[in-house]
Amino acid sequence: MRFFRQLLFTSNSGWQSFWRNGGVTVAAVLSIMLILLLGGTSLLLGHALSQVLEGYKQRVSVISVSVADGTPLASVSDFMADLRERPEVTNVRFVSKEEELRRFASDPRNQQLLQQLDSNPVPAKIEVSVRHLSDVSTIDGLARGWRGADRTNPTDYQGDFIANMVRLSNYLTIAGLGLFAVLLLISVVIVMNTIRTAVYHRRREIEVMKLVGATEWFVRRPFLIEGWLTGMIAAALAVAVLLAIYRPFVARFQQDLFFLPLAYDPSFVVPLGLEMLALGSGLGLVGSFISVRRFVRL
Amino acid sequence: MILAPRFNSRPVISLQHVWKRYPNGTLALRDISLEVPAGEFLFLVGPSGAGKSTLVRLLIREEKPSKGKIFINGLELGRMKRWRLPHFRRQVGLVFQDYKLLPRLTVYENVAFALRVLGESSRVVSARVSDALATVGLEDKRRKYPSELSGGEQQRVAIARALVHAPRLILADEPTGNLDPATAWEIMQLFLRINAGGATVVMATHNREIVDMLRRRVIAIDGGQVVRDDRSGRYHEVLPAAAVHL
Ligand SMILES: Nc1ncnc2c1ncn2[C@@H]1O[C@H](COP(=O)(O)OP(=O)(O)OP(=O)(O)O)[C@@H](O)[C@H]1O
Ligand SMILES: [Mg+2]
Repeated sequence: MRFFRQLLFTSNSGWQSFWRNGGVTVAAVLSIMLILLLGGTSLLLGHALSQVLEGYKQRVSVISVSVADGTPLASVSDFMADLRERPEVTNVRFVSKEEELRRFASDPRNQQLLQQLDSNPVPAKIEVSVRHLSDVSTIDGLARGWRGADRTNPTDYQGDFIANMVRLSNYLTIAGLGLFAVLLLISVVIVMNTIRTAVYHRRREIEVMKLVGATEWFVRRPFLIEGWLTGMIAAALAVAVLLAIYRPFVARFQQDLFFLPLAYDPSFVVPLGLEMLALGSGLGLVGSFISVRRFVRL
Repeated sequence: MILAPRFNSRPVISLQHVWKRYPNGTLALRDISLEVPAGEFLFLVGPSGAGKSTLVRLLIREEKPSKGKIFINGLELGRMKRWRLPHFRRQVGLVFQDYKLLPRLTVYENVAFALRVLGESSRVVSARVSDALATVGLEDKRRKYPSELSGGEQQRVAIARALVHAPRLILADEPTGNLDPATAWEIMQLFLRINAGGATVVMATHNREIVDMLRRRVIAIDGGQVVRDDRSGRYHEVLPAAAVHL
């Protein structure tokens, strides 16, 4: 009961101080909001990029080898057996000329082309799924060395483009995390300074609290609440802005860059929002904790 | 009264060879030793910068002595853990020259503040604050703000706040410093009543008339040293020549 009354007293006074600190608080909230917005946006972009890359990765961890017309079936099944024995290969599938033609015909854009042909122009294929993206080039090398492969266009391998993209995305992730850490540090410093001014504004009250025998943490608590509120409100605003722009952004993206597999992902937004709120609260508490330990002492 | 034996009572305050040097190098107190028995009324006098306020700050452990020991009710302040400080300070009533009231709170809330920080129930708060305000004669001003009160009334509010914890020791640093003589006397009457109720009072003051009139114990400090300790003293040392006329 006593504890509850004390808590009520400090919460009230933290809330009041938050508003009384006026300009400084507003500036702090806005700066931290912008920082979190920047962080949140980069997280969202990172997620979108990895979404796109993930789609590619799945597609390119399958390499299809074109079989030259007239290759004996025995040679094809030998080669397939060789492939199956390799540790990096997870699946090998034969696609006949007819099946490949049906697949080719299912795309409406190819209709016109098809009507002008009377024989089957597409080669049979061996689709090889590998465990890792980096294994694709090994299979490509094998296929090129196989006599049954189509001369002009042995595989659909696109070189190291995808692997490079993946590496780039990894670098971007690391750089993003570094940037995020710096931004967080700046936010904490902003909160520290806000709380420092709040302590300065309330120095008389603090002095009186000390001389009537308030405990150190009782005097400190309102400032912790104030710091927490600052981070929390900034985070809430940032989340609101992110939520408002994410969907239209994705819609726009899908319209202009339809070939990239980017989709609105609500299952990512909710945890992101919660994480940002937690982050805001956390940095608010850490900043005010440091400040209060330095500037509010009995 | 003064000669009454008190060998069985432990001193409320005891200083043993206390020195205080501030971080900037100022030597504010030199080798101060003194004892204050329970129930005493003690004046600390001395010129500006003598070290009176420093002594008061040491007694509530706002500052620590550089050397020597300070005991309050037998507890050594230098060895007191920081987390015990609040509890210790609640047992000491503090009054200052500048009142230290909170301008945004009413008279009632200013006094209640000392209890609210402890989370006392509003029933307890109401009873104790009313008591304290009655003691200083300000019941009718409970809803006013400090800015609406005279200096003397503000100092009464501060005294009421110092009294809500029912302290056995009152430390006052120039409590009448900002008041006119008539008001200063009213405030002094209050301190005398509190002292008559059994509380020990230590008061730093520049008010010569009051000290000379009351003839209580006077400790004079100059340059950080105790230069005089009279059982029933005056503000200035009484020279033999002057004593002839008295
Ligand atoms: N916080 C401080 N840091 C450094 N020096 C200080 C500090 N406080 C006081 N002093 C110095 O210590 C000495 C004693 O000061 P103190 O305030 O105790 O005097 P005082 O007797 O209360 O004077 P007054 O009658 O003017 O109030 C002075 O020389 C003063 O300048
Ligand atoms: Mg002083």
